[in-house]
Amino acid sequence: MPQKILEVKNLKKYFQISKGQVLKAVDDISFSIDRGKILGMVGESGCGKTTVGRTIVHLYKPDEGEVLFNGINVHELNNKKYRQVTKKMQMIFQDPYASLDPRKTVSAIVGEGIDIHKLCRTKTERMEKIYETLEMVGLNREHANRFPHEFSGGQRQRIGIARALAVGPEFLVCDEAISALDVSIQAQIINLLIDLQKRLNLTYLFIAHDLSIIRYISDDTVVMYLGTLVEKAETEELFENPLHPYTIGLLEAVPIADPDYEKSHKHDLLSGEVPSPINPTPGCRFSSRCKFAKGICNKETPFLKTAGKGHMVACHMVHSEEW
Amino acid sequence: MRWIRNYEAEWEIFVVTEKILEVKNLEFSFDTYAGEVHAIRGVSFHINQSESLAIVGESGCGKSVTVQSIMKLAPTPPGRLKGGRIVYRGRDITNYGDRQMEKLRGKEMSMIFQDPMTSLNPTMRIGRQISEGIKKHEKISPEEARKRSVKLLKEVGISDPDRNIMRYPHMYSGGMRQRVMIAIALACNPKILFADEPTTSLDVTTQAQILELMNHLKREFDMAIVLITHNLGIVARFAERISVMYAGKIVETGKTQDIFYDPRHPYTWGLLNSVPAVGKKRTEQLPTIKGTPPDLFMPPKGCGFYDRCEYRMKVCKENDPPSTEIEGGHFASCWLLDQRAPSIEPYFVKRHSKENFGKDVI
Repeated sequence: MPQKILEVKNLKKYFQISKGQVLKAVDDISFSIDRGKILGMVGESGCGKTTVGRTIVHLYKPDEGEVLFNGINVHELNNKKYRQVTKKMQMIFQDPYASLDPRKTVSAIVGEGIDIHKLCRTKTERMEKIYETLEMVGLNREHANRFPHEFSGGQRQRIGIARALAVGPEFLVCDEAISALDVSIQAQIINLLIDLQKRLNLTYLFIAHDLSIIRYISDDTVVMYLGTLVEKAETEELFENPLHPYTIGLLEAVPIADPDYEKSHKHDLLSGEVPSPINPTPGCRFSSRCKFAKGICNKETPFLKTAGKGHMVACHMVHSEEW
Repeated sequence: MRWIRNYEAEWEIFVVTEKILEVKNLEFSFDTYAGEVHAIRGVSFHINQSESLAIVGESGCGKSVTVQSIMKLAPTPPGRLKGGRIVYRGRDITNYGDRQMEKLRGKEMSMIFQDPMTSLNPTMRIGRQISEGIKKHEKISPEEARKRSVKLLKEVGISDPDRNIMRYPHMYSGGMRQRVMIAIALACNPKILFADEPTTSLDVTTQAQILELMNHLKREFDMAIVLITHNLGIVARFAERISVMYAGKIVETGKTQDIFYDPRHPYTWGLLNSVPAVGKKRTEQLPTIKGTPPDLFMPPKGCGFYDRCEYRMKVCKENDPPSTEIEGGHFASCWLLDQRAPSIEPYFVKRHSKENFGKDVI
């Protein structure tokens, strides 16, 4: 078993919108996840987080680059071999209202993967497996024969998690798995995800736009901006010592639940909005909003460079003389 | 009422802060096929002139319905105002009909909604949507109305307003649309602005910009803002006073400092505890409030929080706790505040300071 469960190398995913218009959703990103770790991925909406997640689980085909899962390139497999991989790699979706088939019972939803991968021989074995999975995520046996509309948002997300866990995966892509939920329910689902990760020794790619949740849950964090990675580091290091101007701006923007702190602290907000990813300009993608931007930022694309132990940042200005 | 004191110039003035809106014992229900949903069960609060009040609580606790029933935007039927009084600047508007409300909406009180994508009319140019309200309330020439729209767009931070009033909503991003919504709401200088989760569908950076804008406009237009949200960070940044709602009732009200540093209701404790702060490392488990809110088809007889409360007592099940004043406008409804209640371990206040920001919070 290789130590790195997932390796993404120079991944590119472009969408052709119309003639001459290319939306560069993901533009040359590389990262890896160690077995048993949680990698957090943050960024504003439209920065390509979801596209990365979907390309990893083979919902999209990449334009360039490769996704190695346990050392195997996911996108070069035939259907039969690919099935072996989907068993180990599952996804939890954002919207628990839209991602469950309203016409299927919970047992049919959770059991679908078991049937596809032929994990159980007899019907009783199959039902036992479904019950076991439901109980693992905090639901009971009685819920198996109900339909999704009978559940609350938090419970539906639990069904979504049970569906993913039923086939016994090693790696889960959680795409904004808790952002559609209420605050108090969010805490319950986070606890459940952490608990499951420890118990089943899972690895997560945790995609979210909420920084406080990322800090709480993940071991390492990558920050995305307009299809590129701008910074990656251990979570603690990133939050305590952010280097990229975008990361700093993102952290500044988060309101802290402490009125005295909020009053005493002057917020240095990012101005403007994320520019369009269609036919992006050369150079640093963030340069239009960056207050440190110099001439070089508009010409050359910055690459990730090391700026401390395990801390990578893609900025011309960091640790340069003008900084 | 408050004193404003200027120490340098050595003068004092006595400012009478007017209670601009007062809601007393409001009860609102929805009649559905399955029965009556008691959405609001006796809510009382007031808004002072040019202050910011935040109403916080989980979804389904009645935050939005409270505001919609004040604005008379909740559809009746199935909605039904069961009781209570709404007093706006001395006028009892409880039983106002559509005609009378039309005079108030926009000019006296205004509202912005959660989803700017669906609340704007996709077939109308931005300029016309802004001037619609102005034309309704004032006798004004089209040219004059256009000028006002341009000025408003500029006010909410949209560049090149002359060109932008000719655009349609789909040409804007989420943040820009929310700015347009704010411009529409402010068109007739309302005295109260109700903001129903105005930043929930926006990104953090855009959210911060919109909050900053609302704060700025509040001062400039001298209006009161009622902010509905479930994000305690936003509340801490924005609000002067907070009302915490649970199961159709306000369980605690007070100044922002009171609620954050001296909360008295177990639900408020739970709410404050369950927030993972940016400045907080992962500890063993995130404290949660166990269970779910009560079914409002059959609201509980006693305290609504009874089933989920760690400190519940016999009295809580059958008797609804009265609203008790702790000090200076800080109210909470909990039997623990009764003299006969046993003393419990006080709530542990979490604070951020510059020194320990980013580190584990004490």
